[in-house]
Amino acid sequence: MSNTVADDRYELVHKPIDVAALMQHVRTGQDGAVVGFDGFVRNESHGRPTLHLEYEAYESMALAKMKEIGAQIHERFAIHRVAMVHRLGRLEIGETSVFIAVSAPHRAAAFDACRFAIDTLKKTVPIWKKEYFADGAVWADGELPPAPPIRVEPAS
Amino acid sequence: MRLLAERSPSGYNFWVPTVASKLRVKVLFFGRIRELIGRAEEVEEVPEGTTLGDLFDRYAAKHPRLAGFRNSLVAARNQEFAAWETRVAAGDDIAFLPPVSGG
Repeated sequence: MSNTVADDRYELVHKPIDVAALMQHVRTGQDGAVVGFDGFVRNESHGRPTLHLEYEAYESMALAKMKEIGAQIHERFAIHRVAMVHRLGRLEIGETSVFIAVSAPHRAAAFDACRFAIDTLKKTVPIWKKEYFADGAVWADGELPPAPPIRVEPAS
Repeated sequence: MRLLAERSPSGYNFWVPTVASKLRVKVLFFGRIRELIGRAEEVEEVPEGTTLGDLFDRYAAKHPRLAGFRNSLVAARNQEFAAWETRVAAGDDIAFLPPVSGG
C-alpha cells in the first residue's frame, strides 16, 4: 500500500481533461476499486440558463493545496493512488471542470476519500468561477477558507 | 547614510536608516478583487512591521470599494492562508483571496 503522493497526479490544465486516462492512471493490480468524481458544467445556475463558465486560479497555491488534500486522504483512508485535475479558462456546458479518481483495495475507502477530496477542494483550493448569462456575468458565491490562528513568531 | 525618523510599531520614535525600513512584497489579486483593482499583481514597498491587515488597509484607502470586502476575504502569504495579524517579510507573495468557488 502506497502511503505517499509520489505516484499520484495533481494538475491544473487549460485544455479538456482526459477522464479515461486518469481512471487508468490510478488503476493497478493491487487495487480492487476505483471511484471517480466528474464535476462538469451545468446548463443553469439558480434557475438562470448559463452560457459558459470561466475558471481562474492562484495556480501555484491551488496546486499546493490540491497536493495537501492528496496527502490528507492518504493519511486518513486506506487508498492507493490519487488523480486530481482541475481545468481553468473557458468551459462550455457539459465539459469537465474537475476530475478526481481514487483507487483502493476496497471500495469503502475509495468512496470516502474521493468524497472528502472534492468537498475539501471546494472549500480550500483558490480557484474561482465566473458564470456567464445572456444578460451579464457574475462571480459565483463561494466558500471562504478558514484563516489559520495567529502564529506567534519565536523571538530571535 | 541619511537617517530619518520613523515610528516603530510600539509607537516610540527612533532613528533608522530608510534603506533598511522598507520591505518589497508582491501583491496578487484574483477574481472579483482583480477586476476591482484593475490588475492582477503589483509590487509594494511597505515599512517593517506591516501586517497583512495593514497592507489590505493601504489598498482599501486607494480603492474605496475594496473596504467592504474585508470580512469576505482571506489573506495568503507565500501560498499559505495567513491571519491578518501576520507580519510581512521582504520578498513575500501576498494575496487577498475572495471566497473560493472551484469544482
